[in-house]
Amino acid sequence: MTTSDDRPTMIEFKDVHKYYGDYHALRGINGTIRAGEFFSLLGPSGCGKTTLLRTIAGFEGISSGVIMIDGKDAAGIAANARPTNMVFQSYAIFPHMTVEENVGFGLRKDPRSKEEKAKAVAEALEMVGLKGFGKRAAHALSGGQRQRVALARALILKPKVLLLDEPLSALDKKMREHMQVELIKLQRQVGITFILVTHDQEEALVMSDRIAVMFDGEIAQLDDPETLYRRPANKKVANFIGTMNFIPAEILSETGDKVEIEAKGLGRVALDIAQAPAPAGEAPVVGLRPETLTLLYDDQKASERETEGLIDEVIYLGDMTYYDVYLGGTDVEVRLSMRNVPGRPVLEVGAKVRVAWSPSALVLFR
Amino acid sequence: MKKAPILKSYTLFYLLFLYAPIILLPIFAFNSSKVVAFPLQGFTLDWFREMFSDENLGIAAKNSLIIALSVASISTVLGIFAARASVRYRFPGKAPIMGLIMLPLVLPEMIIAMALLVVLLSLGVPLSLFTVIIGQVLVTTPFAVAILTSAFQSLDRSLEEAAMDLGETAWGTFRLIVLPLVMPGIMAAFLICFTISFDEFIISNFLGSGQPILSVYIFGQFRFPAKVPSMLALGTVLVCFSIILLGFAEYMRRRGIAKTGGKDSGGFL
Repeated sequence: MTTSDDRPTMIEFKDVHKYYGDYHALRGINGTIRAGEFFSLLGPSGCGKTTLLRTIAGFEGISSGVIMIDGKDAAGIAANARPTNMVFQSYAIFPHMTVEENVGFGLRKDPRSKEEKAKAVAEALEMVGLKGFGKRAAHALSGGQRQRVALARALILKPKVLLLDEPLSALDKKMREHMQVELIKLQRQVGITFILVTHDQEEALVMSDRIAVMFDGEIAQLDDPETLYRRPANKKVANFIGTMNFIPAEILSETGDKVEIEAKGLGRVALDIAQAPAPAGEAPVVGLRPETLTLLYDDQKASERETEGLIDEVIYLGDMTYYDVYLGGTDVEVRLSMRNVPGRPVLEVGAKVRVAWSPSALVLFR
Repeated sequence: MKKAPILKSYTLFYLLFLYAPIILLPIFAFNSSKVVAFPLQGFTLDWFREMFSDENLGIAAKNSLIIALSVASISTVLGIFAARASVRYRFPGKAPIMGLIMLPLVLPEMIIAMALLVVLLSLGVPLSLFTVIIGQVLVTTPFAVAILTSAFQSLDRSLEEAAMDLGETAWGTFRLIVLPLVMPGIMAAFLICFTISFDEFIISNFLGSGQPILSVYIFGQFRFPAKVPSMLALGTVLVCFSIILLGFAEYMRRRGIAKTGGKDSGGFL
């Protein structure tokens, strides 16, 4: 993951709203996407992420607000004149054309000679690993190949921004993981801004420099993957990205940069104010990721804090085991994950254990 | 099939009833007797000779071709507009408008013919091939709309967006992407409208003002027993013409499917 703070702005949203009749699809989108960034719009279906992507492409107008693309207000620019190209969810390969004709479609108005265009097409196909596929009929391709054709077709125009609408959702798991890595490499190679729409949080974490998590037409949090994961801004984001345990807590005191709480099953903890995102007016809970909790074996000692526990459920996954554990003799159950390494046998249901944890891994939602 | 001899014979009987009379056409067209009855007498081409020397029949055939080609062209173009609009856009009153466009499918043709006749006469429009064309377009357009709507519906919208996204204009997108992909539907619509128009009788009779039009002319000729064999010869020609047309349409359809890699979902219609 690269830090991209110093890069210039490529796209800027200023209070963007979009209505479909009475339906408020985008509710005040603000934020910037930087040049050369791999940016993801992540959220459940119906959250407005695809709508937002389509407003960048110019397929959807906006009801109010401003979208700036490369320093220009996009409002007056039609889809076919924007410096953006899109890879569609269905790939939208023209079925009555060959691979070559598909990839070269955007060059129809290019003043270059036929030979130069053919060379550009061949280069684009080589870039996506489809060298020699030019003469094939587009409909005779596999899913992964169609996607590569769609990529080549979009990239051949050297857009400033490449828009990807759930490009991996139609592929099987192995192919998807393979293409994730390929897309990252491709983005690094061409160096242009990629904006990916996905509902798959893992995909977003793997691929993105920064992610905007969207719910109900709003951006809930816009951050780099690590911050999103470690310091989610609210419970909804915490729940959507990875797994998080929520433990009821009571706020004892709050001073300038410290918050002291009493968490059920964990006891008193002093948290840094950075661990407590803006209050949402909810009953206070602390969040803990499963991998920040560790089961202690007989010879081990906790480096920070430890709590008694009782194993309620064991879920064996091969490389990992998930344990559901009651904390400190309470009814608070947390999930924790342990790597299965030699000398650390999988424990059984009903076993009394000690659980190590670190106060700095806690996030307080209130 | 062995378990259902009734179904089997029913099917056989149905097909026989449907096609046996058509098979009789060429048989009697080549029979040398003026009387259309078995036993057959001898082989002759006289009826075909008589048919081709019939000047009025030639005019009627020409008129019918003009009408059918015009009707098919106009209906198909109107059908493209209507189908495209109904598939792609939302507009106020869409459901009733589309309903009214499709209504002539179930409306008795007689009503359309009578109503148009009254209106045209009161407006002082002279009856001609043109009035026949107008009347028939009303009847055939719903067929074109129905066929083309399904053609446009099966077109992935993102294909058009992709073309726009790659720099094409709206017209370029329509010409390069939409038109080639709905072409099988356009051909189908054109052929259906052509066929319906070619053998349409009621409107041709009402609005044709005695101009020789094939369907009306053939019906008129059946009043004269001596003319019947040559009409059967004409029928034979028309059957051959239909088979060629249908074969061509099927060929185009299969070629279209092969080119876009779609799945063959059955016959032409």
